[in-house]
Amino acid sequence: MARYGMVIDLSRCHGCRACMVACKVENNTPKGSFWNYVFRFEEGVFPETRVSFLPRPCMHCDNAPCVKVCPVGSRHKTLEGLTLTDWDRCIGCRYCEVACPYGVNCFNWKDPKKNRYLDWSDPSLEGVELSHGMPYANPDLDLPQGSQGRHTAGGGRMKGVVEKCTFCVHRLEKGLLPACAANCPVGALVFGDLDDPESPPSQLLREKPHFRLLEGEGTEPRVYYVGGAPPTTASRQIEAVKARVER
Amino acid sequence: MNEKKRLPFGMGRLGTKWWVLVGVSLTLVTRGIIAYSQQASEGEVVTGMRDIGPMGGAAWGLYIVFVVYFVGISFTGICLASLIRLLNLKVLRPIVRPAEVMTVIALILGALAILADVGQPGRAFLMLLKYARPQSPFFGTFAMVISGYLFGSLVYLYLHGRPDAAVLAKRPGLLQRFHRWWAAGYGDTPPERARRVRSSFWLSVALLPLLITATSTLGFVFGLQGGRPGWFGSLQAPGFVVMAGLSGVGVLILIAAGLRQALGEKERLNLELFRWLADFLLVLLAGYLYFLVVEWLTNSYAAGPSESLVSQAILAGENAWIFWGSVAFLTLPAFLLLLQRLRGRVSLPLIVACGVMVNLAAIAKRFLIVVPSQTHGMLLPYSTGSYTPSLVEWEIVIGLVGLGGLLFALFVKGFPILELDRDYLGGTK
Amino acid sequence: MNRTAIAIWMVVAGFSLQFFAYFRWAAPLGAPTSPAFSDPRIPYAPAAFIFGVMLVFLSAVVYELQGGGEGESDG
Ligand code: SF4
Ligand code: SF4
Repeated sequence: MARYGMVIDLSRCHGCRACMVACKVENNTPKGSFWNYVFRFEEGVFPETRVSFLPRPCMHCDNAPCVKVCPVGSRHKTLEGLTLTDWDRCIGCRYCEVACPYGVNCFNWKDPKKNRYLDWSDPSLEGVELSHGMPYANPDLDLPQGSQGRHTAGGGRMKGVVEKCTFCVHRLEKGLLPACAANCPVGALVFGDLDDPESPPSQLLREKPHFRLLEGEGTEPRVYYVGGAPPTTASRQIEAVKARVER
Repeated sequence: MNEKKRLPFGMGRLGTKWWVLVGVSLTLVTRGIIAYSQQASEGEVVTGMRDIGPMGGAAWGLYIVFVVYFVGISFTGICLASLIRLLNLKVLRPIVRPAEVMTVIALILGALAILADVGQPGRAFLMLLKYARPQSPFFGTFAMVISGYLFGSLVYLYLHGRPDAAVLAKRPGLLQRFHRWWAAGYGDTPPERARRVRSSFWLSVALLPLLITATSTLGFVFGLQGGRPGWFGSLQAPGFVVMAGLSGVGVLILIAAGLRQALGEKERLNLELFRWLADFLLVLLAGYLYFLVVEWLTNSYAAGPSESLVSQAILAGENAWIFWGSVAFLTLPAFLLLLQRLRGRVSLPLIVACGVMVNLAAIAKRFLIVVPSQTHGMLLPYSTGSYTPSLVEWEIVIGLVGLGGLLFALFVKGFPILELDRDYLGGTK
Repeated sequence: MNRTAIAIWMVVAGFSLQFFAYFRWAAPLGAPTSPAFSDPRIPYAPAAFIFGVMLVFLSAVVYELQGGGEGESDG
């Protein structure tokens, strides 16, 4: 069975954040939820500054602290190596969020239907035709996923549950790449089966030196980085995304 | 003679002071319920909590602070009650029942605070019964604290109340049926008394280890988290236990002083008893200050960059006033109590003031454990976050405190809050 | 059966229930590498655990109350 993972080529990433947008559209995540987040860093003192970028999806850790602490087994590890949240089971305790060292979890602080970017019930939008259906209603997200048939795909299901990057489990089922990897204009996100030595990410890992984020935590991430260095304490965010949810 | 006919300790008589207490509590509870209904309909967006990471918030806030606080109080209540019974400490005997009642009430409040925190409270019960996982420290706190601990302390309160209930069940009145049910045929015969003593001993023995495990598990909820700087540490669990003792003894002092005032029980709740409580407090304070120093030393010398960011935020950043306030509210009582001890005096107002200070310090300290590790020193270079509890959160937790007062007030009117003397009403001796 | 025996049985049963529920029936401990680590091996194992805790404490009630207690001698 495939054991998925991702290799991110930092030498290619130029911080366009197309992956963040692709993820939002694909997974219908509500306002303020960023399943994939691209850091834009700056180091040094002017004029000796250096800029770098670092996309940060969920690491789908093999020794995931979030899975360990989930009191009801909503956050679980699949045989394909994904770390998923069963939104039928999550009680919204946010223990996973607190346990994750990477800050990737998003809680539904309010009803996601009231937390869309655009109020689609606005009468002035009547008659607007979209070629791919409404942008907040990807039908695949409602389907049960994987051999266990659990509801794990998509974001913004209901208020009071936690969600996070799924590596687009619903697309994997169809043999497609995750939306972020499929949409990166420079192919910086390389996704595939890490158990298969011939898969693109495995080849990349063989060719280039790599690192994982926060190796010292023992979380065994399934996301690897090549072509760059991990952020240091000297890394400052140029402009942090202002993720906000208001009442 | 007429005095003897009345129920003891103001039971069944609703005086002005009682109504004031109930009135205030009810107001707080009502406000809490309104606030909670707001949270239930709008979602937890009404709290000051937000996501860790890009959103720059804390995912756990005041509710978790108070879960820890309430459970700590209950821990002390049942521990003291068991110890007093086991060691048969005569002077402290009168506060055994208040301590047991405090335990039960604090646990109920703790459970409610958890429900206030989770996003899907309706689901929580079923899912936990069905799927709870031993690996999650939440299982420990949930299964042991709420089920075991609450049930155990209810049994404890119930069995120890039977002799009193049996006495009261002989008196006609509104509450007679209730007391008869509670007594469940207790006749105070010698074999029954022997059984009473035996089961009491075993219950205490069974409860103590459970409580220590339960409270340490609660510490482990934080202590085992490598991913949150400042949480991982072996001192977390013992520190939790000592802090729990402090807040519990503090609340008990307030309850005892309140009862002494309200019921005029100057003999049973005498100054000797308060001296004991003050000494307890002093010993615990000394212990806690020791932990504080050790914690501070390890943080400032042996910590990684993220840990130092967290401790910086605590020592000098936006949370500094909370930290230094809690330090002041720990050292000042320690100093005052020590002074009092050395002079060999007992001042009730001073002890009460210390009780209040220690509790404020306990809440502050819980806050500092829960919050800054989420907003500061994140392992990835996110921007620094912030968390300020919203009005809704305050209203809910204060409503819970009010509920505690209400439950206590109701109990006092239905059952003797101090154990009856053996020869009360001529007794059944 | 006399009260002591019943109480002891309840304690033993309660603790075994707790033990089995915790270590055998609930979700296994260890690094979670598959969905099996997130599901109890026997449905409602946690409820069994809680029931075990209750049994242990109830034994004290049974010990004191069993047989109505009116002057009955200790078994
Ligand atoms: S990155 Fe965080 S949420 Fe993702 S698997 Fe690891 S611990 Fe869990
Ligand atoms: S918030 Fe949901 S997924 Fe996360 S630990 Fe709690 S129950 Fe599990």
